[in-house]
Amino acid sequence: MNVLTKNLRLFWQGTMLSYIALFAWLRPVTYAASKIVMPLAQMLFFVFLGTYATNSNNVDFYVIGNAVQITAVSGIFGVTMSVGGDRWAGTLPYLFGTPANRVMLFFGRAFMHVIDGTIGVVIAFIWGVTLLGLDLSHTNLPALGLTILVTTLSTCALGLLMGCLSLITSNVMFVNNTVYFLLLIFSGANVAIDKLPAWMQALSQILPLTRGIAASRALVAGQGLAEIGPMLLTELGIGFVYGTLGYFMFHWFEVVAKRRGSLETV
Amino acid sequence: MNAIEVNHLKRVYRAAIGVFKRSIKEVVAVDDISFSVEKGELFGLLGPNGAGKTTTVKMLATLLIPTAGNISIMGFDVVKQANEVRKRIGFIFGGERGLYWRLSAEDNLRYFASLYGADPEVSKKRIPYLLEMVGLKGRGNERVEGYSRGMKQRLHVARTLLHDPEVLFLDEPTIGLDPVGAREFRQVILDLQTEKKTILLTTHYMFEADALCDRIAVIDKGCTVALDTPGGLKKHVSDLSIVEMETFGAPEEVLNGIRALPFVDAVSVEDQDQRQLLKVQTERGAEAVPDLMAALDGQRVGRVIVREPTLEDAYVRLVGGKV
Repeated sequence: MNVLTKNLRLFWQGTMLSYIALFAWLRPVTYAASKIVMPLAQMLFFVFLGTYATNSNNVDFYVIGNAVQITAVSGIFGVTMSVGGDRWAGTLPYLFGTPANRVMLFFGRAFMHVIDGTIGVVIAFIWGVTLLGLDLSHTNLPALGLTILVTTLSTCALGLLMGCLSLITSNVMFVNNTVYFLLLIFSGANVAIDKLPAWMQALSQILPLTRGIAASRALVAGQGLAEIGPMLLTELGIGFVYGTLGYFMFHWFEVVAKRRGSLETV
Repeated sequence: MNAIEVNHLKRVYRAAIGVFKRSIKEVVAVDDISFSVEKGELFGLLGPNGAGKTTTVKMLATLLIPTAGNISIMGFDVVKQANEVRKRIGFIFGGERGLYWRLSAEDNLRYFASLYGADPEVSKKRIPYLLEMVGLKGRGNERVEGYSRGMKQRLHVARTLLHDPEVLFLDEPTIGLDPVGAREFRQVILDLQTEKKTILLTTHYMFEADALCDRIAVIDKGCTVALDTPGGLKKHVSDLSIVEMETFGAPEEVLNGIRALPFVDAVSVEDQDQRQLLKVQTERGAEAVPDLMAALDGQRVGRVIVREPTLEDAYVRLVGGKV
């Protein structure tokens, strides 16, 4: 068996089995609640709060912003649980005691969450259309699908970076919660970016989701793939940077954990 | 070439203490340990809690970087050639953790096989073989969360044998197992030895080490204090007899009085519910009994026997009576 086949197999098995092994949401009721009820709750909360606070009929702004932002549930929490779950399962020493390709091991943890996050956003859009009057009749749907996928990829890349922290600390869920709520503001999901102070605008530009949400709004407003293409490429680029940074941190933390003897600390 | 070579191994842990005024505390877990293990040998590593056994195994398994000294496994350095070492070793730490509980045993093995880059066709045959070998035939499709502790330990053995490693590190593998489970596990270890695996075993159970190991290193405070065959180690106490005395709630000052007697070499105490079993090492044998009874100062005493020393008694003497 050649090296490529071995690594692809490791990627696929790591993807599937680590998802099943570590993600308790696979219990059908909990999974359904997280995928169906939670996006609706988040959207209803921000739609009614936002339209009440701004006293304007801008429901679509909040529906689209929160529908896309919901990918952070899989991208941030899901991916971190997949990477960090090995600490709780006590499997970290056994993983790092193998000669497995670390790139496959690392990125394999995120792949199912990309699919999962994409499904979550689609469900949120369905809520938007059926309950909150979102009109997609002028939308290039394949382009919207691509935008959702790219945005989920870049968010999962940030999740991988966060997940790396779980190799050296057991307090990573605190960091994740903070990041998730910051994304609600900084990504432009609920506040227009140009209404934010300059320093917040600058920060929003280096986060995933910002361009994905803007591109989704543009597509729903009737623009085409050509107009949003540059935004998608930048979103992808941001994901690439976070993913690469995450991998190097994963590698570095493995070394640090072996120096400190902290692989099994829970 | 030896399978394992350990030379002047040292490991210091550094921990930060305090919130505002932080200071670094250094703990020497392993100070100076050296030993070598021949291919196919079953080698024991004994020592009291905190002696450095698990730290040593972690360094052998490439999971911890030594502060000083070096280790080679099958000729490969564990730090510089870690991946070559990992292909040739398997390891188990005692306890139930280290498996994906929501997966079946077969899925656990399938995943770890892919981590070792095993050929899927080979794994397809090897996984049922290993499950049968460790007594889990017919249970492979059950989720691990429903397994008993002993079954999980045996699954760990199957996991560690997936890539057919030449060297195995078993760190207290029978800890927490019931007597039947521990006996079955010891049989698995003996079966592995017949397959010419090189095995390094750490254990607290002296009879286990005596029954299984070809040679034993006793370590204390991070240093090797003895290295010999079980028979050779017993010679350390061949001049002694052991007086076992059953007492009921003897206070610490009375026990210290016995320890201070000039003819007493070492004393270990086993608490058994309301009872204590004192094991007194002495050159005087049965002649020491009246003086020991006097030193117990009116404490209630049950059964008293005088017997020949065992490996455990040799161990107690070597580590200074700390059991």
